[in-house]
Amino acid sequence: MRLISLSLALMLSASLSALANDEPSPEIPEGALKISSINPDRNVGFLMGDILERTIKLEVKKPYKLIETTLPIVGYEHRYKGQVSGIELRNISHTKKENRDNTTYEIHLAYQIFTTAPVVKPAILPAETIKFQGPATADAKDGLVQYKIPPFYFRISPMAVFGAVKIEEDMSPLRQPILLQPYPEKQKLVACLIVLGLSLLGLLYILGSRAWLPLMGKPFAQASRRLRKLAEKKPEDLKTALSIVHSAINATAKYSVFSDNVSELLAHAPSFKTIEAELTQFFELSHKVFFDTQSTTNYDERSLVWVKKFCKQCRDAERGLKPAKLKKA
Amino acid sequence: MSDKQLTDWRQHAQTLETEINKVVVGQQTPIRLITTAIFSRGHVLLEGDVGVGKTTLLRAFTRCIGGGYQRIEGTIDLMPNDLVYHTYLGEDGKPHVSPGPLLMSGENLSVFFFNEINRARPQVHSLLLRVMAERTLSAFNKEYHFPHMLVFADRNQVEKEETFEIPSAARDRFMMEIPILVPDDNAIMESLVFDTKFHNVDALVDTIQADVLQFDQLNAFSALLQAKVEASPTLRQYALNLWRATKSPSDYGVKVSGVDMNRLVLSGASPRGMSMMMRAARVNAWLNNRDSVLPEDIHAVFHSTVAHRLVFSPVYEMRRTEIARELLTGIVNAVAAP
Repeated sequence: MRLISLSLALMLSASLSALANDEPSPEIPEGALKISSINPDRNVGFLMGDILERTIKLEVKKPYKLIETTLPIVGYEHRYKGQVSGIELRNISHTKKENRDNTTYEIHLAYQIFTTAPVVKPAILPAETIKFQGPATADAKDGLVQYKIPPFYFRISPMAVFGAVKIEEDMSPLRQPILLQPYPEKQKLVACLIVLGLSLLGLLYILGSRAWLPLMGKPFAQASRRLRKLAEKKPEDLKTALSIVHSAINATAKYSVFSDNVSELLAHAPSFKTIEAELTQFFELSHKVFFDTQSTTNYDERSLVWVKKFCKQCRDAERGLKPAKLKKA
Repeated sequence: MSDKQLTDWRQHAQTLETEINKVVVGQQTPIRLITTAIFSRGHVLLEGDVGVGKTTLLRAFTRCIGGGYQRIEGTIDLMPNDLVYHTYLGEDGKPHVSPGPLLMSGENLSVFFFNEINRARPQVHSLLLRVMAERTLSAFNKEYHFPHMLVFADRNQVEKEETFEIPSAARDRFMMEIPILVPDDNAIMESLVFDTKFHNVDALVDTIQADVLQFDQLNAFSALLQAKVEASPTLRQYALNLWRATKSPSDYGVKVSGVDMNRLVLSGASPRGMSMMMRAARVNAWLNNRDSVLPEDIHAVFHSTVAHRLVFSPVYEMRRTEIARELLTGIVNAVAAP
């Protein structure tokens, strides 16, 4: 029951407040309110579309309290003598700070100019009327008092020099209508198309078994990249490196290449003829490492370095370049 | 000491090859393969057209190996007992029994040369199988041993009349089947036709050095050789992969033109066949002065030790030689090492 009563009281209070915004009320007693404001640092040179911001700081003695519903609302267009002034409230926010004997309200207002004129035009950030709830007095039996925030006067500049543009003389039928320029949207569209294009290229690259890029996906190019990642510290690295190069040779020849059938590789890929001696050395090293049970050539950093250089030689041969000669491993 | 033995015997092997190459020209690969078989203690089957020098080649080897040598011609009326004994009427007018080709040389029999083996009946093949596998024979209530015997046989695949196909079990007993082809070199072909020294085979074979090898020491040396030449784990894996590929070539992406690969192979190489392949590969490594086997050693003997062991679907048997060659080449090309 008490809850219903409270709700009804709140609704009544809201209705009263709404009414309070429309009906003029007595001015707040002198000395009950102290105002300071931060206005734009200039009052000329504004153009249509500019946003003017002002901050109003009100120190209101207790028991007066701001009725927040009397603050102006966003989108409200001030009228002067029944005409729209062209100054529109774009944003409003406020803060409240309770002190011992007063309350400080800080109201931030942002207005946007939607009017212009051929010559400099005077304009005004309107004197907003806000109301406070205070004790009932003889003048204000309901305790409502009001305060008008001082206006801010400024000048709106014209968009062009008066008389310089005569639309009547520039009515060419070939000139297309002036449209809104959707630059941000266009930029986003271009960015999306670029991303889409790159994604498609990436997809093609993956679908093409990473081999369609020129000189990138061939067996020895891939083998060189894998060899670069070897740590050069583990004993099995030499075996791993030799296996990688063996795989690349087999992939190039399209059959398993051994020292007894390397001539078929040379016939199939004549660019490798320039490194025939190195190929022989490679197979000798491979025999020592993989098949010679008496050999101690398990890990030899020099051999590993040689294998890497040999792989680069093969990569050059694969690309049709003339590889440099290597020293024996 | 063993290293010195290996070196000394390698010298003997090289002498053997040199001697044979003097009288059988243009056949370096078959000569190397037969040398390999001799040191692997494996039996050899030569295959080729008529008159290409198969018999001359085997006779030349026989002269160089030394020891007892016996020869028999395969004919359709040859019976197993003809290999063991023969009967005759003596001067005294009484029947006599004397040892046949297999028993005549006793334990010193080093080469048993079976000419045109595919003309003999399966009963003869059957007897030969046991002698080849066990090197023993039971006759006259006695067990005869031929510890040093190698069987050299030849057959021609051109003639099919009055011949018996050697069954796969019999083929498997031969370590190698070696094709003998007419040399393609003009100079060699010309000398074979016009050089009169090649016209008299007996005189030709007599010109080569006899007893280059000590036949009765070959078994012991072969055992030493097999023990000394080693195979690394990588090579073992490679040999196993080759073996698997002979059983299921399509798993390794091997293709033979005009052949349904899923129906081609009924049976791949046998364990005995693969062990013989490795024995031969070890000998090849030793002949090339190495003490470890390389994949190239296996390649050198792969066709000759494996091709005749494969069992194909009957529909493909008529093209066996051609298909086996292409299949094994495909396997070598498909299996990588390492």
